[in-house]
Amino acid sequence: MENIETKLREEAKRLLLEKKAEVIIGYEKGTLPLTATPCFITKPEEADKLVWNNLCTQNLAKFVHDLITQHKNSQKRVKPEDRKRKVIGVVARGCTTRSMIIHLQERQYEREDVCIIGVPCDGYVDGKGLKVKIGGADIIDGAIEGGQIQMKTSDGDKTVALKEVLADCCATCRFNNPIISDVMIGSAAPPMNPDAEYEEVNAFEAKSMEERWAYFTREMDKCMRCNACRQACPSCYCPTCFVEQSQPQWVGIGEDQTDTQVFQFMRLYHMVGRCVDCGSCVAVCPMGVDLRKFLKKLDKDCFEFFGNRAGSSMEDMPPLGKFDEHHDKGDFVYNP
Amino acid sequence: MARRKFATLKSFLNYVGVEGDRTIFTWVSASEGDRWAQVIKGATEKIKALGPANKMVKHIG
Repeated sequence: MENIETKLREEAKRLLLEKKAEVIIGYEKGTLPLTATPCFITKPEEADKLVWNNLCTQNLAKFVHDLITQHKNSQKRVKPEDRKRKVIGVVARGCTTRSMIIHLQERQYEREDVCIIGVPCDGYVDGKGLKVKIGGADIIDGAIEGGQIQMKTSDGDKTVALKEVLADCCATCRFNNPIISDVMIGSAAPPMNPDAEYEEVNAFEAKSMEERWAYFTREMDKCMRCNACRQACPSCYCPTCFVEQSQPQWVGIGEDQTDTQVFQFMRLYHMVGRCVDCGSCVAVCPMGVDLRKFLKKLDKDCFEFFGNRAGSSMEDMPPLGKFDEHHDKGDFVYNP
Repeated sequence: MARRKFATLKSFLNYVGVEGDRTIFTWVSASEGDRWAQVIKGATEKIKALGPANKMVKHIG
């Protein structure tokens, strides 16, 4: 990892010096121990802040979209011939590149608008899981070395194997290496365990309808409508989200149980063929709602019905933007 | 495209435990009056058999 970090900083510096990118979105050390936080590097000398390790959680594609949209809006009142392109550099792992492919498929920006620094990924630590693992103790200091997390906690020194606290989405990740990149740093990461990716969904499907509904209700009752999942999700980029629309008002804004269920259901459903299972929503959820159980089902359906994995190839069209007369499932059509 | 949306919606509704059978989707042309009547008749029967929906229903007041 050290090696990748050094190369990453060099590469970021080079891109900024050569003006190939105006800003590099990457991760820096977080203010809390054992965290990393997204950062925006605009000056070559700042590039040394960049880090790349198993604590880099957030999907940076979200910020790519935000910055490009912001820039486009600022260019609206500029004459077309004077408009400038702003190239955004981004440190991207597999899921980040998949999200960007979705943006590109949905014509949010052009390939030339982004400069992708690909990095191999071997998963990130699920912060909430780690906290549970060490019995809720406060982490005072920590470091990751050789697949082990060594921590100084309020409850004494602790060591946890990295494998045991990887986020669920990382443990069964299929695309942990960048799919598209302009610069690739380091060699490809070894594959994770993608064969097990639908195990959780299959187990949930086997339950009875009432059990499933009870689980959904219980999970959604935890939700306090902070919209963190939406803010963190790279696929949630609508200028006005249906939640905030008031004419018509699709869903109430209060803490009514049904409103929460409808909000979550609709947000989840908007992710058909667009969720890359980056786990950002799960990671930012302050209430620990099990969103992945539902999102993964959409991914499974999309693959089983249409043979499509979200953002897995630049040539694909969005699965809900096309249809295949001969191979699409037809048993849901009502024919009296 | 609509068919893909409905296929996934129905499956997802079933998955979260809402009766996805309430989602009824088909094509009827403006010239197929007879078929239209059949579809509506069939749909009404199906829904009546399921009884009133009580999931994701907002009670006001």
